Amino acid sequence: MLTSRVISHSFFPLSPASSSTSSSSLSSLKTILSPFLTKTQVSYTRNSRMASSLTARASARKLENANELIDSVETFIFDCDGVIWKGDKLIEGVPETLDMLRSKGKRLVFVTNNSTKSRKQYGKKFETLGLSVKEEEIFASSFAAAAYLQSIDFPKDKKVYVIGEDGILKELELAGFQYLGGPTDGDKKIELKPGFLMEHDHNVGAVVVGFDRYFNYYKIQYGTLCIRENPGCLFIATNRDAVTHLTDAQEWAGGGSMVGALHGSTKKEPLVVGKPSTFMMDYLSNKFGISKSQICMVGDRLDTDILFGQNGGCKTLLVLSGVTSLETLQSPDNSIQPDFYTSKIADFLSLKAATV
Amino acid sequence: MANGGKEGLTPQAARSLVDSIDVFIFDCDGVIWKGDKLIEGVSEALHTLRSLGKRFVFVTNNSRKSRKQYAKKFSKLGMEIDEGEIFTSSFAAAMYLKLNNFPTDKKVYVVGEEGIKEELKLVGYESIGGPEDGRKSIQLESSFFFDHDRSVGAVVVGLDQHFNYYKLQYATLCIRENPGCLFIATNCDSSGNLTSLQEWPGAGCMVSSVSCSTQKEPVVVGKPSTFLMNFLLERFKIDVSRMCMVGDRLDTDILFGQNTGCKTLLVLSGVTTLPALLDPSNSIHPDFYANDLSHFVQLLSL
Repeated sequence: MLTSRVISHSFFPLSPASSSTSSSSLSSLKTILSPFLTKTQVSYTRNSRMASSLTARASARKLENANELIDSVETFIFDCDGVIWKGDKLIEGVPETLDMLRSKGKRLVFVTNNSTKSRKQYGKKFETLGLSVKEEEIFASSFAAAAYLQSIDFPKDKKVYVIGEDGILKELELAGFQYLGGPTDGDKKIELKPGFLMEHDHNVGAVVVGFDRYFNYYKIQYGTLCIRENPGCLFIATNRDAVTHLTDAQEWAGGGSMVGALHGSTKKEPLVVGKPSTFMMDYLSNKFGISKSQICMVGDRLDTDILFGQNGGCKTLLVLSGVTSLETLQSPDNSIQPDFYTSKIADFLSLKAATV
Repeated sequence: MANGGKEGLTPQAARSLVDSIDVFIFDCDGVIWKGDKLIEGVSEALHTLRSLGKRFVFVTNNSRKSRKQYAKKFSKLGMEIDEGEIFTSSFAAAMYLKLNNFPTDKKVYVVGEEGIKEELKLVGYESIGGPEDGRKSIQLESSFFFDHDRSVGAVVVGLDQHFNYYKLQYATLCIRENPGCLFIATNCDSSGNLTSLQEWPGAGCMVSSVSCSTQKEPVVVGKPSTFLMNFLLERFKIDVSRMCMVGDRLDTDILFGQNTGCKTLLVLSGVTTLPALLDPSNSIHPDFYANDLSHFVQLLSL
C-alpha cells in the first residue's frame, strides 16, 4: 500500500514584513528554505504476506560438522543462482557434492525464483553444465505459477495475461492454460494521442508477473486494465526479488521491479508463488510425502531462500558463494538468521567432525 | 462555515470559501482537462473567478511536459496562461537539485520524458536517458557487461511511456553504485487521465520499479510533498490559509493541501468517485467537494 508521510515541513509562510526584496527570486528562496527542504517519504510495503519469523533466533552457526547436518535430513532443497551456478558458470565442487549426497540416499530438489526458463529448459542447463538432474527435481517459479493455477482449478476457458518470459508461457501451456502477452508484447508501443483507447481481453482471469526484460508501458497498462476491470481477476507474482544474477558479472534488476510497477498502478498486493512464500515448499512436501523437519534449505539469499526455509519450518543453510557476504549476515541490520552458514556447498565434502 | 466535506458544497459554503480565498491552486489532469480535451465549463468558470479578483496557479504532478510546453497546451485550448503561473513536478525536480546545490559537473539520469530534460537544461544540468533510451534493449549473454556513467549524481524518475528494462537497470546501477547518488521522484501517482477515454499508469509505477530494485525510497518533490508550496508563497506573499487547492486526487492534491495548511476542494471530474471519497476506508477528507469546477462556480450565483 502506498502511503505518504510528511517528514518535515520546512517552508516558512512569508508575512509581508519579512519578505525579501531581493531581485532574484532564487536567492530569496535560498534564504527561506532550510538545508533539508521538504521531504515527503513514500513507503512501499513489500512482501506483506510473508512476515518473517517473529521469534528471535540465535545467530547463525558456522557449519563445522557437515555429516551431522547431512544425516539429520532426508531432502536438500537447493537454490540455483549463487549456490549451484553463477550466470552460466558452475560453482567449484558442485558436481562432486551432489554426487556425494545422492550416494548417501538424499533426495535433491532445486527451487529457483528465476522464471525465465521452464523446468525442461532448466534441465537442459543442468545437463550442459555436466550435472545429472531430472526435470521432476526442478521447481522454478514459472512452474509454481502454473501449479498454483492448477491447485485452485483455474478454469481452462479463462486466459492468463503474462508479463514475463518464455519459461512462464511454456509452463502454462504444459498445464493446459491459454495465455496472452509474454515477450511479443515487448514490441507493442502506445501513443498517448487524443481518442486513443486501449482495449483488453475481458476473458483474462489472471495476470502473472515475473522478471521481464521486455517490460514496457503497454504491458503495465494491459495488466492494470485486466486486474482492475475483469471481475475476480487474480494478480500473481512469481517472485519479488530486488535483484537477480542473470550474468555472472553483475546484478540485474529483478522480478520485484515488474511486480512493483503493477502494484503501483493497481494498489493491489499480489499473490506470491515463489520464495519466500511457502507455496513451493507445501507443494514439494505433498508431492514427495516428506515432513518439513526432514528438509534442509540451502540458499544464498536471506530474504528469499532462508526466509522460505524458516516460513516452511525446515532447517536452513546459507552459502556465501552468492549475493550475501558474511558482513551482511552478521550486520546488526540483518534480522534473518539461518541455522548454519558456510562458504559453498562443496564444504560438505571437506567439513567433518574432528575425530577424538 | 458549513463543512461541505461530507455532504457536498452548498451555495453558502461556496460563497464563503471564495470570499476567504485570494489564490486558487488548480491541479490540471481531471480538473482542467482530460488528455487533450478541456473539461466542460472550465473556461467560463475560470473567467468568473478572475472577474471576482481571484488569482490562480496550476500545480500538476504530470512531468511529461515543461512549464513552457504546458503554456502552449493551455494556449491551444484557448486559455492564455503564462508559464510562470504553472508549476510542474518536472520543474520541482530541477529546482530541488538547484536549491540543494547539485554540482553542474555531475549528470542526471532521467527515467521520464522531455519535460524533465527541458527543465533540467533550463537550470544548467546535463541529463542522459529520457525518451531515447526507450529504444535501447539488453542482451543477456554471459559475457555481457552493462556499463553506466559513474558521473551520474542523481536519478530523476517520473512518468515514462517509454519505460523499459534498459532504463530500469541503468537507474538501478547509478543509485546502487555511484556514491551519494540521489534518487528523486517527480511524483508517485498510481494513475492519471492521460487521455480523455481512460486512466493510464502513473509515475508511481516507474518509481515503484526503481524503488524495488534499489531497495531505497526516493525524495518525492511533487504533491503531496510540500516542496512546491515554497514557490507559491514566494510568488504571492500571502498567508497559506488564503489559498485553496482544487484537485481530483485525494492522496496527492488533497493531502498536499492538508500538509501545507491551505483549504482543499475535491472535484469529482477526474480519478476520484463519490463512493471512493465516502468509503469508510478513506482517511483523506477534503474541506469541500463538488462535481467539477463549473459546478463549484455555478453555486456562487445560486
